[in-house]
Amino acid sequence: MENAEVLIDCQSVWKVFGDRNAEAIEAITSQGLSKRDVLRDYGCVVGVSDASLQVRRGEIFCIMGLSGSGKSTLIRLLNRLIEPSLGTVLVKGQDISKMDAAALRRTRAEHIGMVFQSVALLPQRNVLENAAFGLEVQGIPRDERNRAAAAALAKVGLSDWTKHYPSELSGGMQQRVGLARALAADPEIILMDEPFSALDPLIRRQLQDEFRQLTKELGKSAVFITHDLDEAIRIGDRIAIMKDGALIQVGTAEDIVMDPADQYVADFVAGISRLHLIKAHSVMVPVADWDGPVDDLPRCDPEADIDALIAQITETSADALAVEEDGRVVGVVSVRNLLLGVRGEAGADPIGAEA
Amino acid sequence: MEDFVDSFDRQVDDILYWLTDNAAFLFDAARYALEGLYDGVLWALIAAPFYAVAVVLGLAAWRMIGLVPGIVTALALAACYAMGLWAETMETLALVFAASVIALAISLPVGILAGFFPRLDRALMPTLDLIQTMPPYIYLLPAIALLGYGPATALAATVIVAMPPAIRLTSLGIRETPHEFVELGQASGVTNLQMFFKIRLPFAVPSIMAGINQSLMMAFGMVVIAGIVGSGGLGETIYGAIRTLDISTSINASIAIVVLTMVLDRITQSAARKK
Ligand SMILES: Nc1ncnc2c1ncn2[C@@H]1O[C@H](COP(=O)(O)OP(=O)(O)OP(=O)(O)O)[C@@H](O)[C@H]1O
Ligand SMILES: [Mg+2]
Repeated sequence: MENAEVLIDCQSVWKVFGDRNAEAIEAITSQGLSKRDVLRDYGCVVGVSDASLQVRRGEIFCIMGLSGSGKSTLIRLLNRLIEPSLGTVLVKGQDISKMDAAALRRTRAEHIGMVFQSVALLPQRNVLENAAFGLEVQGIPRDERNRAAAAALAKVGLSDWTKHYPSELSGGMQQRVGLARALAADPEIILMDEPFSALDPLIRRQLQDEFRQLTKELGKSAVFITHDLDEAIRIGDRIAIMKDGALIQVGTAEDIVMDPADQYVADFVAGISRLHLIKAHSVMVPVADWDGPVDDLPRCDPEADIDALIAQITETSADALAVEEDGRVVGVVSVRNLLLGVRGEAGADPIGAEA
Repeated sequence: MEDFVDSFDRQVDDILYWLTDNAAFLFDAARYALEGLYDGVLWALIAAPFYAVAVVLGLAAWRMIGLVPGIVTALALAACYAMGLWAETMETLALVFAASVIALAISLPVGILAGFFPRLDRALMPTLDLIQTMPPYIYLLPAIALLGYGPATALAATVIVAMPPAIRLTSLGIRETPHEFVELGQASGVTNLQMFFKIRLPFAVPSIMAGINQSLMMAFGMVVIAGIVGSGGLGETIYGAIRTLDISTSINASIAIVVLTMVLDRITQSAARKK
């Protein structure tokens, strides 16, 4: 994934709301005022401050933050529903703030789909017509766009509902139509602003799994906004934590849980179960630190999570597991290492430290 | 102060006289156009036998509202015939129809423009407020000075009175598209025209229909008042009956007006609720 093409490149982007935003930006860049200073001195709200991120092809990128942290503003900067006050956003290498109206329309229609928290299904249209909306505005003939919309609806399991109206659907089904509408236009990138927040937990879990599977299957990239860390961990390949408009940490779920950037992130991840997050390669110790013979130990994969390791170790009644990569034993995970991992602490002497 | 008021009044009079003297051809043309439209609509309504009109409106009410209102509509129209007021009822209907068509032909485009340009909306509002707060029969005065006694004057005054609600509610409907749907349009890459026809207009339809309904009701009220200037129809019947203290005729004509108003009100209201 690290080598995949960068689809969205957001470079030091700022968004300041308010009449005096130009002055405020000037003061921020020259004097380094904080969000609170700007509100006090200029009456302007800093929505997004100095955000940089890259979304690569095939990646699901989650942005997590509390209410008011600027998530919706940031995601709307990515397709220029909001103009940045400062900074550049490149979509497939092109600066979208320099595009003229026609080029911007084409980029939005062909490359960037969007799914909204409010779903925004047109109440006057049935499910099929809603799913076909994106293709309709591109001027695709009716037969062709209906076929694509029906195929997208089939992918989200709504084939039987094409002739119904949005008001006849449950919240979860409506959200699926929203996803199908984005998929029907076959964009490379899908922006999702808290799409599942209004749903009850069970439906939500189900949609999260379906969404992740579908996105991976179709090879789409997604930027997914949520205020729920569990959701971000279930769905995201990488997670960005946002606070007061700034991205304070970007990394995999494992990075963030094992090594929180500051106390704010640490408090966030405190309650998160490590069982499925932390992998063998993070908790293992070097073979040299293991006193016994390695050859008799059961083997495991470096990508196996703690939950799987515990299952394996209890079944085999061994004291430890040997982590094997490319036919070579690269480390050992003992029961003690697993217990440390559950608490979110790395192995006593992490291998990474020596390498 | 009195001098000022006097001179203002004289100015207004002068302007009206000047217009009648110098722009007569213009107002004559307007008069022929208005009367032509009215005569055409009336001809169509009178040419059909009363039961045909009653059945058609009854069917319309049945389709739009329900079976019972449909039957009531047909019976009520038959009652207008039985009271010997059929010609007058149709004249009133023709006046309302002609006036509403003109009023809507102007106010829907204006309302849509005002919905897009808040400045135009702000500029129009005081005028619309003024039109709506003045007693409606005021508009008969300049109209009668310029267009003379008859249906053309009634139509002109009715058009003025009927326009404001349609302009207001059309503008409101266009402006109040829910933000999330505007965003949906933008994010889907719509053109400005697509934004209007595929997103803003569908959301504005209920509001526009409510405006049409209100305009129609205003037109009704005004058409009856315009009986004073020889508009023809039920308004003139009532006016004549009041002058001769002919109570039974005025009551019959009032019943006919109530029937017609309710029928049109219900039909357009249910059209507003449907898609
Ligand atoms: N159009 C606007 N004008 C002024 N301030 C705005 C505007 N939009 C957002 N803001 C401000 O920017 C900040 C970030 O808002 P944003 O909607 O991006 O937050 P969020 O993280 O999406 O929150 P939530 O989880 O509640 O949706 C808030 O302080 C908000 O008040
Ligand atoms: Mg938000």
